[in-house]
Amino acid sequence: MTGTGARPGDRLLRGVHRTLTGLHPAVESVLAAILGLLVGAVLMYIWGYDPWRAYWALLKGAFGGDYEIASSIARGVPLILTGLTFSICLRAGMFNIGAEGQMYVGAAASICVAYFSLPHPWHLVVGILFAAAAGVLWSLGPALLKLTRGVSEVISTIMFNWISRFLVFYLVAYVLVDPRQAQRTVRIPLSARFPILVPGTDLSAAVYLAVGFALFVYVLLWHTAVGYEVRAAGLNPTAARYGGISIKRTMVLSFALGGVAAGLAGAATTMGLPPTYAIISGLPELMNLGFDGMAVAMVGRNHPIGILFAALFFGGLNAGGRVMQFYGANPVPLEMVRVVMGAIVLAMAIPELARVLPAVAGAARGLVRTLSPKARKEAA
Amino acid sequence: MGMGAEGGAKPGPDGYFLRAERITKVYSDGTVAVRDVTLELRPGEIVGLLGENGAGKTTLTKVLSGLLPPTRGRVVSPRGPVRFASPREALDFGIGMVHQHFALVGTFTAVENVALSHERPLTPLKLDATRAKLEALMAESGLKVPLDVPVEKLAVGEQQRVEILKVLSQDVDLLILDEPTSVLTPLEVDELFKLLRRLRDEGKAIVLITHKLREVGAITDRVVVLRKGAVVGDVSTAAVTREELAQLMVGKAVGTRAERAVELSTDEIPAHGSHGHSERGPGVLHVEGLSVAGTTKPIAVHDLTFDVYGGEIFGIAGVEGNGQTELVEALTGLRPALKGTATIHGKNILGLDPRQIYKLGVAHIPEDRWVLGLVLPFTLAENAILGVHRWDQFRGPLSVLRWGKINAHVRALMERFEIQATGPNAPAKSLSGGNQQKLIVGRELAKDPAIVIASQPTRGLDVGAAQYIRDTLVEMRDRGRAILLVSADLDEVLALSDRVAIMYEGRFMAVARPEELDREKIGMLMGGVGVKG
Ligand SMILES: Nc1ncnc2c1ncn2[C@@H]1O[C@H](COP(=O)(O)OP(=O)(O)OP(=O)(O)O)[C@@H](O)[C@H]1O
Ligand SMILES: [Mg+2]
Repeated sequence: MTGTGARPGDRLLRGVHRTLTGLHPAVESVLAAILGLLVGAVLMYIWGYDPWRAYWALLKGAFGGDYEIASSIARGVPLILTGLTFSICLRAGMFNIGAEGQMYVGAAASICVAYFSLPHPWHLVVGILFAAAAGVLWSLGPALLKLTRGVSEVISTIMFNWISRFLVFYLVAYVLVDPRQAQRTVRIPLSARFPILVPGTDLSAAVYLAVGFALFVYVLLWHTAVGYEVRAAGLNPTAARYGGISIKRTMVLSFALGGVAAGLAGAATTMGLPPTYAIISGLPELMNLGFDGMAVAMVGRNHPIGILFAALFFGGLNAGGRVMQFYGANPVPLEMVRVVMGAIVLAMAIPELARVLPAVAGAARGLVRTLSPKARKEAA
Repeated sequence: MGMGAEGGAKPGPDGYFLRAERITKVYSDGTVAVRDVTLELRPGEIVGLLGENGAGKTTLTKVLSGLLPPTRGRVVSPRGPVRFASPREALDFGIGMVHQHFALVGTFTAVENVALSHERPLTPLKLDATRAKLEALMAESGLKVPLDVPVEKLAVGEQQRVEILKVLSQDVDLLILDEPTSVLTPLEVDELFKLLRRLRDEGKAIVLITHKLREVGAITDRVVVLRKGAVVGDVSTAAVTREELAQLMVGKAVGTRAERAVELSTDEIPAHGSHGHSERGPGVLHVEGLSVAGTTKPIAVHDLTFDVYGGEIFGIAGVEGNGQTELVEALTGLRPALKGTATIHGKNILGLDPRQIYKLGVAHIPEDRWVLGLVLPFTLAENAILGVHRWDQFRGPLSVLRWGKINAHVRALMERFEIQATGPNAPAKSLSGGNQQKLIVGRELAKDPAIVIASQPTRGLDVGAAQYIRDTLVEMRDRGRAILLVSADLDEVLALSDRVAIMYEGRFMAVARPEELDREKIGMLMGGVGVKG
């Protein structure tokens, strides 16, 4: 005996309702994106730019052709991975802000493969393993601090980000430096590079790694006992403990897995780019990819599949933004794109965004009702 | 006896305090929880709201108290339609509600929680005044709670008392109580009812939700029966018998459980002995000299020694908060013991984690279903495997969960325990309180364990469901399983147990066969009066 109702209309009603609520998260993300773009448009207008032309340029720059689409995807690749770092830990009930630093060490570790040679796929595989291992090692610091001393992961990951940042600055400047060009590291040889998929763009086979890893995380979290434990511990640690789940285990596991993702993001920004690339001092190619990953995770609703779409969207914003800043007589600076991103993230934080619409409609209806002469007569 | 939606004597136009007019509530997943309900609440009247688990009682009262907007229909007062944007507004209007799942801030003490409920924006909390008020209320109502301990550290029964006191302290005209008695002992219930009668005589309107027909007869003036969201009876209590009420609740449903509910309506819990006795088997749980620290006191369990045998139900009766919670948590790996030993089948269990203890054949029905028993955002299916998610039958290679098998298991549970939900993928938080309880009990009993440690196993279950659980426990006992039953429901403990221990301040005041104890003596022992047995 299931369900409350046996009345004929109920089934249909229930079906419609369920479809609508099932779409809720996606609808909310889309609404947030639209809201963010609107805020951006208003700001552009205030500063005397033409929002329509700017967004047109942005759209064309992001998805206007094969080259543009490939570039957008390429920019999304590391964001998929850093987004996963944040989401995995959030699902486990922790706020891991450490993707940025873990990605730096991952990138630095992958550069190390330039110092020895191996045949093609193996050289690449070893580099991937280096990066993943470095990411894991860097994530274990905060994890162990939390486990043994109860240090909040929010604080420790932020601190570890700074340590890793200056550590990698140092490594780039003094250890991994190319003796012929002091402003960058040695170049990773072709044998350890992801094959480029669209010539002339940054899109390499690293995209398969990122998408594959996202699918892996999805399967792990929703279709294995281990992932079940992680999610249970994240949603209700007391009940999880009652259910025989070791919170310490799920904690370390999710941190380590997040470390792998962040390390791979580092690899994607070194081995995953065309052969001319190396890490430049100051890390301009890497900077903020970890933090942007958090935005991607939020818009993707902390779901691996959602993150794929969100990363493509943010990748498109980044790629298109570059076109936008050179477009027309009065080009819009790239910073505007970051304003839009910020506005989107803020909009995501409005709780139950999609419910706001019916509520506004309801309030409007109420207002009309109280103002209408008929209603006033009734009340009297 | 009026059987329509609007029965009873028609009062004058302003004779009511609040009226629900053709209320329908559809939840976002499409569940029609309340269907076209019209109901009038009058000052000076206690209305009993009755219905099976999932009938829509909680939903209806949430609509009345402004917590949920109705999908259709409206709530009107003599001054016109009312619409509350928040419980705060409802409170200002004079409506207070004791929630089935308490609305308390866990890290706040009882005093702070109550003061908070009186709080106005930008005014300081009146802690001293609140404390004085609470102390007076505690003396008057007989509901005692520790005032200065964060409420999350209290036993569920104590939290229930805080929740009741909170609402009693608010000067309201309409008092809605959603299953306030499910974890109270009979004496506490009597005291509460005395107070409710006084409030009624002062002219307050009161709505009481309960599954205990005895309580309905004892205190209500009028009974409203809900079935599948619709009002199927609105009658004066004096004009109706328990059988008629039970029949109204279950409707024309046939099936042993529904019939049993009607049959039990006069007697509710079959007297002791009707379950027969089975041969006591070998010892399963052995506890010796066990002391456990409490959340609110340094020592909650004092030097306890007892055995639970296979083929036996060992009941622990007592007022909630006398160490039962700590004892159960120590035996299930959730709380460290101070000293003593505890073994299952001769194997030590103290210091093990819950998973290792379950492996020894333990099932645990926890008293707090929202904190311990369920992961509320999880689906029914996900909750149904909590603690057994690593069983081989649910896992394939690489630890991949076999959702097909799991869903089949869940459907079987839903069928067997009559869990009402839209399906295995319904979130657990969308289940009614009683159905959540059925889910937990079903999950634990389906383990077919060597010993069941059951705290308040029938809390919030309707008559039929509660009896089904009791029958299942007895049937497991007859198959040689050991059962440790902890319950505030004295009738239940007495009816089911082969031996009963009365617990007071961490000690057993007496351990005896139920027929050796009369209620008066038990009452004294539970209050700490009597010789140590
Ligand atoms: N948040 C929700 N979302 C979807 N359905 C819900 C929600 N809350 C309750 N329901 C459904 O509405 C129906 C009525 O639930 P309600 O809690 O009102 O029952 P109840 O009469 O209080 O039962 P109980 O005696 O078990 O407490 C049930 O079928 C329940 O599954
Ligand atoms: Mg209820």
